Amino acid sequence: MSSALPPPPPPQWVTAMNSPLPRPTKAASSIPDPPGFSSGRGGKQRQQEKQQPVAKKPEETDALKMKKAWEIAIAPSKQLPMNGIMMYMSGNSLQIFSIMMVFMLFKGPIQGLINTNAAFAKYETPSTRGRLVAVKLVYVLMQFLLLALGIWKVNAMGLLPTTRSDWLAWESERLPLEKAYFAFK
Amino acid sequence: MRLQAALFIAACLSPAAAIYSDEVNHIEFHHALLGAPSPDSTFFLKPSSSSNASLLYTISEKSIVGAVNPRDGSLIWRQDISRPGSAPSGAGILRGLDGNNAVVGAAGDSISSWSAQDGKLIWENRFADGAVADLELLELEDASATSGSRDTIVLTSGEGAGVVRRLDGDSGKTKWEHKDNSGDVPFQVSSSPSEIFYISLQSAMLKGYKIKVTSLDPITGRQNRQVTLNTESDIASQDSIFFVGANTASPLIVWADKSFKSLKVNVIGTKQINTIPIDNASGQEVQQITVHAPHRLNSLAHFLIHYKTETGAWAEVFHTDMKSSVVTKAYQLPYLQGQSVVATNNINANVYFTRVTDSEAVVVSSASHGILGRWNADVSSTDRAVHAVADVVTKGKSVAVRSAVIRKSGDWSLIRNGQTEWTRPEALIHTVAAAWVEEEDQEDLVHELEVEGHESLIGAYIHRVKRHLRDLQHLPDWLKELPKRIITSILTDEVSNLDSFGVAKSIIVATKKGRVYALDTGRQGTIKWSVQAEKTSHWDIKAILTIPGSADIYIGDGSSVRVNSSTGEIISRSAPTNVKLQSIATFEHQVGSSVVRVGSLGIQEDGSPVSLFDDITGFLVTTSNDGRVLGWVEKDNKSPVWEFVPPAGQKVIKAVSRPSHDPVASIGKVLGDRSVLYKYLNQNLVLVTAVNEQVHTAGFYLLDGVSGKVLYSVSRSGVDPTQPIASAISENWFAYSFFGDAVDESSAKGYQLVVSELYESPIANDRGPLDAAGNYSSLHDLPLPHVVSQSFVIAEPISHMAVTQTRQGITTRQLLCVLPSSNAIVGIPRPVLDPRRPVDRDPTSAEAEEGLFRYAPYLDFDGKWYLTHSRDVAGIQTVLSRPTQLESTSLIFAFGGDIYGTRATPSQAFDILGKSFSKLQLVLTVVALAAGVAFLAPMTRKKQVNMLWKAT
Repeated sequence: MSSALPPPPPPQWVTAMNSPLPRPTKAASSIPDPPGFSSGRGGKQRQQEKQQPVAKKPEETDALKMKKAWEIAIAPSKQLPMNGIMMYMSGNSLQIFSIMMVFMLFKGPIQGLINTNAAFAKYETPSTRGRLVAVKLVYVLMQFLLLALGIWKVNAMGLLPTTRSDWLAWESERLPLEKAYFAFK
Repeated sequence: MRLQAALFIAACLSPAAAIYSDEVNHIEFHHALLGAPSPDSTFFLKPSSSSNASLLYTISEKSIVGAVNPRDGSLIWRQDISRPGSAPSGAGILRGLDGNNAVVGAAGDSISSWSAQDGKLIWENRFADGAVADLELLELEDASATSGSRDTIVLTSGEGAGVVRRLDGDSGKTKWEHKDNSGDVPFQVSSSPSEIFYISLQSAMLKGYKIKVTSLDPITGRQNRQVTLNTESDIASQDSIFFVGANTASPLIVWADKSFKSLKVNVIGTKQINTIPIDNASGQEVQQITVHAPHRLNSLAHFLIHYKTETGAWAEVFHTDMKSSVVTKAYQLPYLQGQSVVATNNINANVYFTRVTDSEAVVVSSASHGILGRWNADVSSTDRAVHAVADVVTKGKSVAVRSAVIRKSGDWSLIRNGQTEWTRPEALIHTVAAAWVEEEDQEDLVHELEVEGHESLIGAYIHRVKRHLRDLQHLPDWLKELPKRIITSILTDEVSNLDSFGVAKSIIVATKKGRVYALDTGRQGTIKWSVQAEKTSHWDIKAILTIPGSADIYIGDGSSVRVNSSTGEIISRSAPTNVKLQSIATFEHQVGSSVVRVGSLGIQEDGSPVSLFDDITGFLVTTSNDGRVLGWVEKDNKSPVWEFVPPAGQKVIKAVSRPSHDPVASIGKVLGDRSVLYKYLNQNLVLVTAVNEQVHTAGFYLLDGVSGKVLYSVSRSGVDPTQPIASAISENWFAYSFFGDAVDESSAKGYQLVVSELYESPIANDRGPLDAAGNYSSLHDLPLPHVVSQSFVIAEPISHMAVTQTRQGITTRQLLCVLPSSNAIVGIPRPVLDPRRPVDRDPTSAEAEEGLFRYAPYLDFDGKWYLTHSRDVAGIQTVLSRPTQLESTSLIFAFGGDIYGTRATPSQAFDILGKSFSKLQLVLTVVALAAGVAFLAPMTRKKQVNMLWKAT
């Protein structure tokens, strides 16, 4: 219904906003901006407006996407040192905190592994698909590194049945074939 | 594994707190015994002049002086005055006097004075010239007597010479002595207010004895006069004299003629002999004549003569005329059927006689035959009363009496006005063997569970469903019991309510005197029944073997007695055989967590079995009386298949094997780095102790019982063979203790406790040459163990060792040691006795994780290890341990002198709710929470509804 009408003239505030500010007077320019006001905002907008019309080449976007994808793939490795130090610091005793931390340590990489494709879906285009495989591999490798850290920790806590003592209960006493009975004074 | 580690850590952190104070007398019991009281030396006495309360004092056949509280029969104090090494010459003598703060006892050649109140030693004296024959306390006051303690007149008899001494009451020093070298037999001493009489027996020309009375001056000991009575026709031996009155106003000598027709009474110091005809109306032969006279100087000169025949007894009361020394009969207590004992005591000058018979207790005054008090006796025991002492209290005209009656078995009971107040089972001091009673119902369940264990999964399930359906028939009873059970479980705590877990076991004990008792360990060791199985004074019991319902007692002469274990009734006896047995071999198998016995066999003194044991496949290991260890096979009981002869000069004194119930929870020991050191487990191990008494060496040999192979041996020099050497073996470790002298610079002098552990290999994670083989044969390929040992110096000797047994062996074990010098039983936790404790350095973190701590050569017994805590548990010879249904708990029973029983929880009572757990509180909390929810729920609901409606 309203489409039939000619567009109304833009309101005054729209024209005021779109037209550049009049150059402030010398006196006015000495007045500091109110707190929270950024005079650069308008400028940025302008820049964006300026860039927008520049049409990007597909290779550039792809390169950009790949760069982003690489960043995501490498991201878990950045957690490694921090997690490593945390795990080292938390000690090998079985306490609620260390157990929770170990749990989180396992939860993160496993979730990451499950969501591998989802994590890179944004960057997946027909042209980048081939190159993304390597990125994904690195990503998976990083998650495995995190998992390895978790396993190291669990092992250090003695939760992995890797030692002889863990299997002791399944070993049975050697039975003698002969039996002796005793009658002493 | 984890559970075990947790238990282990629990055991390390708080090494088995022995007992909590509220568990004393609850989970444990103690019969502090004296032995059968000596009739002549048992009396009531007021230990302090300030208090009117009197205690009961006695010296027992074991020469133990003791004071018993007459109120409850508890032991106030006791002192063993027998000296090891010197054979006791007859019963000891104990004398006490009202108002005197000491009682004086003598046994053998030593005499000692003990504080009547607390049993502390006042003085002790020993005579080189013979054993003490008689002893009197001098009641008379003279110038030299100090207040409080009275002097003692003691008569010693050596070779042909009697010596009378007066000993100072405070120091025990001799004031004077009178020596009699005439060659007479010293008999007794007695005293009157002015004189001391020494009575000796002079052998007459042909046969018999003349009584010679020598009167001595109490101050100087000089001889005043001497009277010889012509009694040689009557007195054949010392036993012919019934009574020599001690300390009475008119002391008496009483004897009878040979035909028991008349009694002769002489007032000591006079020549006159009164002849009293025995007026025997019963028509039966008089068997025993006893004379009862008061023991106080100021009491009336009255006495009672008690005649006992086969079936009954009567008594006559006599008065002595002080001036003329003439004895006249006053009255008679009637002849009564059954047993009868008389006791005398006096209040000031009045003398009272108490007669206790099967049917009644009667008190009469010595002056007239009027009965002052009569009570019906509540029980007539089958155990004959042999002696009594009484304590009469008069209140106006009425009297009350308490009499301590000594029975034939040695048991001792106090009868207060006809009611039995307490009984002390003194005969238990002779206990030589004990065995736990097996109960039938539990065996059934164990059997059912075993059947299930061997069936297939479905078969076992069906079996269990069937079993539960069968159990439904008990449901109505169970429901009926339910309210009671709930209430009792709320009111009482868990610790006291564990009878269904096999904690309340009966135990059958047999004594050297032929008596068999059943004690209930669940109820403070009360006697369930007792029976005289054999009339003997030396019953040579070799073993008691129990089966559900009955117990077999095997005697050294080859005979056996079978008693019903719930009633004590003797079911059957078997006749003795002509072979003398040394021990009984029991063929026991461990099935699951219980031990099943498949047979037993007598072993002769030379170590050979009395017969073949064809039905058993296995080897038999015995010791012979010439100090060898022998191995036998089932088909040959003439020549052993192997024998172990210790090196020249050494003699086997002891051999121990692992207990038949010795489950191993884990076959390896987990080290701090989680590697495993495998235990050397061999069910056939024998630990043999051999000593050489000449050169003082001891050898400890670990043998394999099948092949006789020596697996490990250690020899110690400087071992004192006269000191106790104890040893025990369990699981993969053994311990022994001895007194070692310093033979070189590096050896220690003192009592030593050595513990050794056996491992398959010194290397972790290595199972030795046999590796994972499921079976091994001792005859072909028996590897040697790797032995780790550590020795500790301990403060006192250990006379016996045992190991706690639990159901599955998960709980850490304790080494139970009997400490004879401190009269205690100590349970040393195994983690303390770990020979892998680091020496001269602190443990590494891995070792600390394992629970090892630094080795210290001196092992101080922690107060918490004492199972007997503050009790004085004397004379223990053997300690038995038995598992219960609770893994944490092991029953302990010790006997040999005292009887002591307790429960040991080496890793704390981890499967029992503690005393602090209040079921009532829990129930109340749940109820309170439920009430709170019920109250708040409608409120919350209303609020939520209102919120929805009134939101705007």
